[in-house]
Amino acid sequence: MSLFIILAIGAGLLVGLSRQLNGRLALSTNAWESSFWNHIVGLAFVSLIALLAGGLFGGAPLDAPWWAYLGGPIGVLFIAAGSWAINRIGAAQTAMLIIAGQMISGVAIDMAMGVQGQLWARMLGVALILGGMWVTRTAKAKR
Amino acid sequence: MSTDNPPRFIHYLGAFAAGGLITLMLLTNGTLAQYGTLLFSSWVPHLTGTVLAILILLTVRPARVAPKRPPLWAYLGGVSGGLTVIATSAAMNSALALSGTIALGLAGQIVFSLFADAKGLFGMAQRMPGWRDFAGLALIAAGALILIFYGSAP
Repeated sequence: MSLFIILAIGAGLLVGLSRQLNGRLALSTNAWESSFWNHIVGLAFVSLIALLAGGLFGGAPLDAPWWAYLGGPIGVLFIAAGSWAINRIGAAQTAMLIIAGQMISGVAIDMAMGVQGQLWARMLGVALILGGMWVTRTAKAKR
Repeated sequence: MSTDNPPRFIHYLGAFAAGGLITLMLLTNGTLAQYGTLLFSSWVPHLTGTVLAILILLTVRPARVAPKRPPLWAYLGGVSGGLTVIATSAAMNSALALSGTIALGLAGQIVFSLFADAKGLFGMAQRMPGWRDFAGLALIAAGALILIFYGSAP
């Protein structure tokens, strides 16, 4: 069990590491080029894992709805945005705003798609996140 | 250097909107994983993303902001991203489930970003987080935990 806890926390550390590296790359190049390298290096890495582990084309992936294939283009925009933001507002504020955006949009999509959930928890969660954003927005980071 | 500019509202809005993109990616890639393998659901977006990124670079032709070449290790963000998929999927299929995995992942992300700012990691601007940053983080983390564990029925 503790191995999985380490893996889950490690995944979060890797997300931060990835954004820091892409942000550093954008500092010397630009946000779009940083997103390009993130994707092509990631593609090579995932392809290598697929060659070693096998089973890349298992299941019936062609039966998936067409829009399920749009994750790549969205990801290009996401990495570029992260590389752009981290050099302007820092890693911590970038991370917390991305988390806030992910959580609030998740609630919106859940409610739009009619996913069952507790209304009090959704309202309290969104209110706390908006409050946190307001507190941070008015912060003047010491340089 | 771009970091000399004071933060503006558009920077905050951009990062917030990027969070919305994650929700869309969870939907697209998660749906893909229901039909194909987990590896496939990571491989496809990397492939289509690479193609789109090339098209953007060819049409927009954005200039490099610095004449000096970046260090080679700065190109490894994609490896870290690929490892994230593997670590996440392993943890997700344990007793932690999706909600526990996301919650611990957020904690890891927050700790790393505070450390990175405080150190100015990898030669990026150093920023010492103040008490308002910690207060904001605590509120956002609390809200996120409530949404993860109570926001939607299992």
